[in-house]
Amino acid sequence: MPAFAVPPEHADLRAAVRRFLTECSPEAEVRRLMETGAGHDPAVWKRMAGELGLQGLIVPADHGGAGAGRVELGIVLEEAGRALLCAPLFATVALAATLLLECDDADAQARYLPGIATGDTVATVAVSAADPGRRPPGSGVAAAGTAEGWRLTGEEPYVVDGHAADLLLVPARTPAGLSLFAVDGRLAQRHPLQTVDRTRRLARVTFADTPGELLGRDGSAGPVLDRTLDLAAVALASEQAGAAAFVLERTVAYAKERVQFGRPIGGFQAIKHMLADLLLESESAISAARWAAAAADEGDPDLPALASLVRAYCSDAFVRIAADSIQIHGGIGFTWEQAAHLYLRRARTSAQLLGDAAYHRERHLQRSMT
Amino acid sequence: MSVRAEVAAWLAAEWDPATMSAGRPRTEFVAAVVEAGWAAPRWPRRWFGRGLSDDDGHVVEEEFRRVGAPGSGQDRHNLYAATVLSFGSDALKERFVGPMLRGEVAMCLLYSEPGAGSDLAAVRTRAVPDGDEWVVDGQKVWTSSARTADYGMLLCRTDWSVPKHRGLSFFLFPMRQPGVEVRPLRQITGESEFNEVFLTGARVPDEHRLGGLGEGWRVLQTALAYERSVMGDRARAGRSDRGMAEVGDELVRLAAETGRLGDPVVRQDLARVAALRTVNEWNALRAKAEVEQGSSSSVMSLGKLAMSRILHESARVRTALAGPRAMVEGPEEPIGDEATFLALNAYFTSIGGGTDQIQRNIIAERILGLPKEYEVDRDVPFSEVRGG
Repeated sequence: MPAFAVPPEHADLRAAVRRFLTECSPEAEVRRLMETGAGHDPAVWKRMAGELGLQGLIVPADHGGAGAGRVELGIVLEEAGRALLCAPLFATVALAATLLLECDDADAQARYLPGIATGDTVATVAVSAADPGRRPPGSGVAAAGTAEGWRLTGEEPYVVDGHAADLLLVPARTPAGLSLFAVDGRLAQRHPLQTVDRTRRLARVTFADTPGELLGRDGSAGPVLDRTLDLAAVALASEQAGAAAFVLERTVAYAKERVQFGRPIGGFQAIKHMLADLLLESESAISAARWAAAAADEGDPDLPALASLVRAYCSDAFVRIAADSIQIHGGIGFTWEQAAHLYLRRARTSAQLLGDAAYHRERHLQRSMT
Repeated sequence: MSVRAEVAAWLAAEWDPATMSAGRPRTEFVAAVVEAGWAAPRWPRRWFGRGLSDDDGHVVEEEFRRVGAPGSGQDRHNLYAATVLSFGSDALKERFVGPMLRGEVAMCLLYSEPGAGSDLAAVRTRAVPDGDEWVVDGQKVWTSSARTADYGMLLCRTDWSVPKHRGLSFFLFPMRQPGVEVRPLRQITGESEFNEVFLTGARVPDEHRLGGLGEGWRVLQTALAYERSVMGDRARAGRSDRGMAEVGDELVRLAAETGRLGDPVVRQDLARVAALRTVNEWNALRAKAEVEQGSSSSVMSLGKLAMSRILHESARVRTALAGPRAMVEGPEEPIGDEATFLALNAYFTSIGGGTDQIQRNIIAERILGLPKEYEVDRDVPFSEVRGG
């Protein structure tokens, strides 16, 4: 099966990223960055671009990237999820670079993609990442054409890595319909939120007559955004699946080493059966995320329905695994010093990003029945 | 000539679906398949095979599948012939392997007992030697096809002085004799697919023993492995036994038919079941890819657990859609009837062939490497072990 065969170069990519993150994103470093204002280490960010080319992974070669596909991005994000990497990678690559690649604007691509690939530009898409059902992209921001160019006004309440972005890609309404704008991050008002998951930041971004530059044709952003959000959903599913698999590994390891009643707690059926069920969840999440990434690369016309099915599954699986991990860890799992809660925080918040599981189930049904 | 070309040429000459797919001509065709060595291509020529590699064996099976011809791949699927071939004496193999491959011997399995379900090594059916024969007394259960079977694969205890796994022996047991009484067992669905088999002074020649005396557990493991390899695709999707693939669309259709397609709770359920089914298919494909790439696959062992979840969950949704109709059964109320049937029959998969609970133990121990279950009776002579 093409979707699940692993060519050697993919195994190599995974090993290289894992090696890098083991060095640069160990738990102690994650905890240090959680307490900083920026939330990531700019030096590591540059090394990610320089040594591994992660930011330029899906950027075409003529814009300074590796021209890889969604499968490769999925591998990187699985690994980033495992390591709880504190860096605006998802925002910059899975959201912003993806959107630039999808929009029909060669000038904008030439202007922005090289900076993303070199690690000089942190970027994000100002979609209200939560609840797209009730708050579709662009519903919070309006753009008006003036003599000096486009001006944006409005607010997006939950923008992923909005606080750190040099480049904001903003969906906004114009008289012609939904359109896309590039905004210099420094020109918007950015209010960092006190996120439950300190390893991924959100900001409330406010535009008040803020200058923006139109991407693509005025009023043509709808399909571009739909496609971008499908691809981003698949990318986020990879991150969730990778993190879930790692949480299970570390929980199994703990169940083997923690002794009570004179035996490892992993020998008790109450624990064994939980872990067996979690293995089914974790492996299923991995299968789902990898299948969807391969489907995206193959141009599968069912991707919209698939992406939502996979997102819903991976969100639920990650939350369940991270939650049960706390329970299996027992008392130590209730302490701040055990990393289990860091993953639960990531699981619970990433389950809200770009639509929760219920939203995606509904969306799957709508898209699979048409 | 390549194996593919050879088997294709053979099929082109011998197989005519119009005349051979049913009844007597089908039997004759399968006999020809066995004669030509295509029934069990990986086995040695001396035993009905062609001594092919596993890969070439798959090529043979593929060619048979392509034209829809029956009879090949039995080296992987025919657990009776495979077990006799692995553990029988040459005389026994001469007598049975051919007829088994040709489908001339009707078989059944005599494993489980009322007191030995999940703990199969606790069987209490006893075989006592009497000259060249064994005299067998005990009770077996969950035996399908017992009424029509010529022989049964019998697991019984031949030594009570050693711990439970070591005192078992395995026999190819003749069913058509006095001392064998078969009583149909009525299932919770109302159907009778299985029987109880009462053995009272029944006899089996020692030459029908498969494997050494006291080696029955090992023989059983081999036989079970063959059985499990064909079990995955046997889950029934309804009384009429449709394929799983059609079931998802059917739930959506049923929701439309019952006027519930606009109900957001139902819609969530429909999508949830669709995800469980789809993800399980992907797991199966991934397992296949991993095995083909030469790595062991942990995904494979999860299939049975996943299938029980799918069956119970879809039956739950179906019951919700049926509503009060689920109080009525029979052909006048097909929607209610099907909901109840599927809810009850889901236990076939979550209990049969190893309960979900045993399955979780196996996954936890063999895949996750967690400590093995403590067995109080593991090293105790079986005569001292409590039954019940």
